[in-house]
Amino acid sequence: MTETKTQEAGKTRKHLVSAASSSVMIEFTQVNKWYDDFHVLKNIDLTVHQGERIVVCGPSGSGKSTLIRCINHLEEHQSGSIVVDGITLNRNLKNIDYIRTEVGMVFQNFNLFPHLTILENLCLGPIWARKISRADAEDVAMKYLERVKIPEQAEKYPEQLSGGQQQRVAIARSLCMNPKIMLFDEPTSALDPEMIKEVLEVMIELADTGMTMVVVTHEMGFAQIVADRVILMDKGEIVEENEPVAFFNNPQHERTKMFLSQIL
Amino acid sequence: MTIIKPVESPTVTAPLSKNSALRWVRKNLFNSVFNTVLTFVMLYFVYVAGKGMWSWGITDAVWIADTRRECFAISIDGACWAGVYAWFDNIFYGRYPREELWRINLGLVCLVIWMVPLWLPRVKAKISIGMTTVFLYPFLAGYLFSGGAKGVFMQFMVTAAIVCLLVNTLHAIVGVCSGRSLLEFIVTLFGKKNASSKRGRNILVGLFAIIFVVIYIWQMNWTVERIPWTKWGGLFLTLVISGIGIAMALPSGILLALGRRSNLTIVRVFSTTFIELFRSVPVITVLFMATTMFPLFMPQGFVLNKLVQVIIAVCMFNAAYMAETVRGGLQTIPKRQFEAAHTIGLGYWQTMGLIIMPQALKHMIPNIVGNFITLLKDTTLVSIIGLFDVLGMLRSISKDSPWLGLHKEPLVFGAFLFFVICFAMSKYSRHLEVKLSTSHKK
Amino acid sequence: MAVSDNSKKSEQIKPKEQFDFFHDERVRSVLYQLLTAAAVALVAWFLISNTSKNLEARGMHTGFSFLNVAAGFDSYFKLIPNEAGVGTYGRIFVIGALNTLYVSLLAIVASTILGFFIGILRLSSNWLVSKVALAYVEIFRNTPLLIQIVFWYISVFSLLPRVRNSIDLSGGLELVLLNNRGLYLPWPVPGDSLWLTGIALIVAIIAVCVFRRWAKASQDKTGQIVPTIIPSCLLLIVLPGAVYLLTGMPLEWDVPKLAGLNFSGGATLPPSFVTLLVALSAYHASYTAEMVRAGILSVNSGQYDAARSLGLKQGRLMSLVIIPQAMPAIVPPLISNWMSTIKNSSLAIAIGYPDLVSLFMQTSLNQAGYAIELVSMTMAFYMFVSLIISGLLNIYNKRIQLVER
Repeated sequence: MTETKTQEAGKTRKHLVSAASSSVMIEFTQVNKWYDDFHVLKNIDLTVHQGERIVVCGPSGSGKSTLIRCINHLEEHQSGSIVVDGITLNRNLKNIDYIRTEVGMVFQNFNLFPHLTILENLCLGPIWARKISRADAEDVAMKYLERVKIPEQAEKYPEQLSGGQQQRVAIARSLCMNPKIMLFDEPTSALDPEMIKEVLEVMIELADTGMTMVVVTHEMGFAQIVADRVILMDKGEIVEENEPVAFFNNPQHERTKMFLSQIL
Repeated sequence: MTIIKPVESPTVTAPLSKNSALRWVRKNLFNSVFNTVLTFVMLYFVYVAGKGMWSWGITDAVWIADTRRECFAISIDGACWAGVYAWFDNIFYGRYPREELWRINLGLVCLVIWMVPLWLPRVKAKISIGMTTVFLYPFLAGYLFSGGAKGVFMQFMVTAAIVCLLVNTLHAIVGVCSGRSLLEFIVTLFGKKNASSKRGRNILVGLFAIIFVVIYIWQMNWTVERIPWTKWGGLFLTLVISGIGIAMALPSGILLALGRRSNLTIVRVFSTTFIELFRSVPVITVLFMATTMFPLFMPQGFVLNKLVQVIIAVCMFNAAYMAETVRGGLQTIPKRQFEAAHTIGLGYWQTMGLIIMPQALKHMIPNIVGNFITLLKDTTLVSIIGLFDVLGMLRSISKDSPWLGLHKEPLVFGAFLFFVICFAMSKYSRHLEVKLSTSHKK
Repeated sequence: MAVSDNSKKSEQIKPKEQFDFFHDERVRSVLYQLLTAAAVALVAWFLISNTSKNLEARGMHTGFSFLNVAAGFDSYFKLIPNEAGVGTYGRIFVIGALNTLYVSLLAIVASTILGFFIGILRLSSNWLVSKVALAYVEIFRNTPLLIQIVFWYISVFSLLPRVRNSIDLSGGLELVLLNNRGLYLPWPVPGDSLWLTGIALIVAIIAVCVFRRWAKASQDKTGQIVPTIIPSCLLLIVLPGAVYLLTGMPLEWDVPKLAGLNFSGGATLPPSFVTLLVALSAYHASYTAEMVRAGILSVNSGQYDAARSLGLKQGRLMSLVIIPQAMPAIVPPLISNWMSTIKNSSLAIAIGYPDLVSLFMQTSLNQAGYAIELVSMTMAFYMFVSLIISGLLNIYNKRIQLVER
């Protein structure tokens, strides 16, 4: 019903975006968020440019997951502004629908749909949210399954795959929507050590294609290889934001030093 | 008697397979003094109860007789099953005209044909089959059972139901044979490779339109004698009431459950009130409300017959119960699934229809079967407000002059009948529970 | 974190997008809610206007003034005195409500005890015992309660002997008698100084509480397990018993005596009451048994191993480890089973026990009309009871949550 309208609006908006601010993809300005009395995000300012890879790290409960969940409006911020792809996130449902089709997200627990086969998992978004014909959607899905190196699992159900395979499927599912931005919320935390590598490899390959990525992770090796910037969050604040080399070798803040000494 | 948890302690010697039966008896019946005593007490109890029932119900029972007096003449201590047997047709069909019974049987056969594909593993699009069962079958069955002249609407719906039954059956046969849906099969039949090609679909729609028209014209001349609802009765009536109750309760229960979980305060308040109201009062009060208050609610000159009143009441309270079942099913779906659906751009109804409900329904099936068992048992209450359902029929045997005072046997038979139906269903639902919890696993 | 509510909600930076009325979340939410409210209001208006027209056309009266009108009938079983033609409909309501509560409370107690018993039998390691318990559960759960009630009534209680040949349940003492007029029990008649025994009982209960607490404290201190059960029982029996004897046994029993064609004295429970009590208890016990079984089985089997490895014996293993963990799984369904017991007591109507539904929704409705008032009052009663019971449930759940934290 509203999806077609959204899509049309999306198309027109794309032109506006390319004309106005081509390089800034995500912009947080003085964003605040509370859970009841708990201040999860405190005056967050963050700008992510097109093609940039940001790694967010920090102790648990520091608000890093909340931060990236605000980007596709899974969480609502209470003050400040978040502009994604030139569109302000507010309570306008049309904007939210649009942003969600443009922003892919990969979760800690994969969150595949257990009642659908891998192929159906991948096709669902393109068919229902993008209104692509099933045949085309299946072509795209197979293309991405090949990219994450598990095309032979297409007809299986998520429970039949290993954790690493499921996470790769989850990445492919997001890519099928042809997103402009990819968000990763601790994608390797729920995996056994031997499976972390295969997921990280896929993510590195994805980074090489020039995708804008925001990754919450504790994999500091990944951050060193891929990230353009590393951000440390603690108690709802961005404590330090720097290039990986400087971040790891010459941390400016006490809290960063503390964190790095614990994790490395 | 030690309570529970047979914690298997590893035995030093391997169990002897030769004496396994004896070992089993010793282990499960005579493993301690107390258990031995208990076993003998129970054996005696089972023996006495079993023997009493056996001699009353089988060996001393009278199977062929014309009146209760004859029964007594043959055996004074045994059951008089002849009375129940004489009323068999009434117990199952009520006072439905005997020469029209084929209509009820045909209706049931249609239902079976309609629903069998739901259990065949290779058939696709089961949700659509289920939907048509709920929304189209009642029209076909309704006409078969009540008969009379058809209005245009009824003609249309009956035709639609017949077409749908045909398509369903074809679809099921194709599914079983080739594992494909009927659409794919016909498209390939016309030499197209791609199932979603528009021309294939158009041909199919055209084909169905022709079938529809043919059946419509045929059924215009097909009428069956009108049989008023007052002649409906017996198990047939019980099944009609509970069948409609469960079919209507499912969609309305889903809506109510969604309403109860909604963020919109007013929607939530109304849904919750409705659910809690109907769940907190006894079923019999809802039935009384239906018969005493519904006539006041209707516009003047508009009279609902008692059966419709009862069915509406059954639908209402069962929707409330079903809503709680659905809510329970929805609670088993983690919030993460909603989030994942949102991140790939699905809206509320798409998320519900494509992601949440299919998963939740699967979890709910055992509970829905349980719900149906409860409803089936509760339907006996309509005999209190004067409908002749199974229990009403069973109780009127004792008022029939040849069988005057024959109370016990019909009730035992009724209990047996319900036991067979409900026990089979509850076993099935338990089986489903086990099956569903292990499906799709490696 | 000292941020006032104001700054929380205020938008510090205005959204760049224009306010889009039809796609705004809040507008949508308000719109949907208004639509729902309007639809409900429309249905309500339709029903109310039809009802008022119908009432007018049939010349029927409304209002609750009829509650003060004397009812032309009386209930044959009642807990408060009443007289036909004198007692009002309001009094009939109270009688019905009390009858409903009376039979259901007794049935709740009986079914819970029986249900726990059968549930434990179900878990017995004795194969035969557990299968017999299973047969009981399956038979009672899979047949309609209404058939069970009618069956009990017709084939058990209507076959009872006449008054003359009453069955003596007390074994020749002629204290508890059962015949086709009902169940006859001796009824206590309190004497003048019975209150002293009552006080003694209360004192004994308090003493037991204090003793148990002391025993626990002593165990904590010294590690010696003080036996509590036998001393507690002794205390509870001996103290009130002694006072009772010392005050000269101030309690007399009114024993039923055969006078003419009927018994007089004592307490009489009509067959319909006994039938309903038996049927409800038997039926709901089968559900309780399954709950108890499921609850105990829900405790992880590792808990048994853990408790055994600590050296706990079977009895203490159950009372200290398993039962406390099983109760949270048993109690909530048990409480809702109590609610269904109360609701199912309305099936009394099939055998003529004068409960609320039978007295108020049937007899009163036939005699006085006032359908809307009578139906809604009856329903309101059940809703009220259900509110109380869900209140109980909430209290229990809160306590459990506190414990778990």
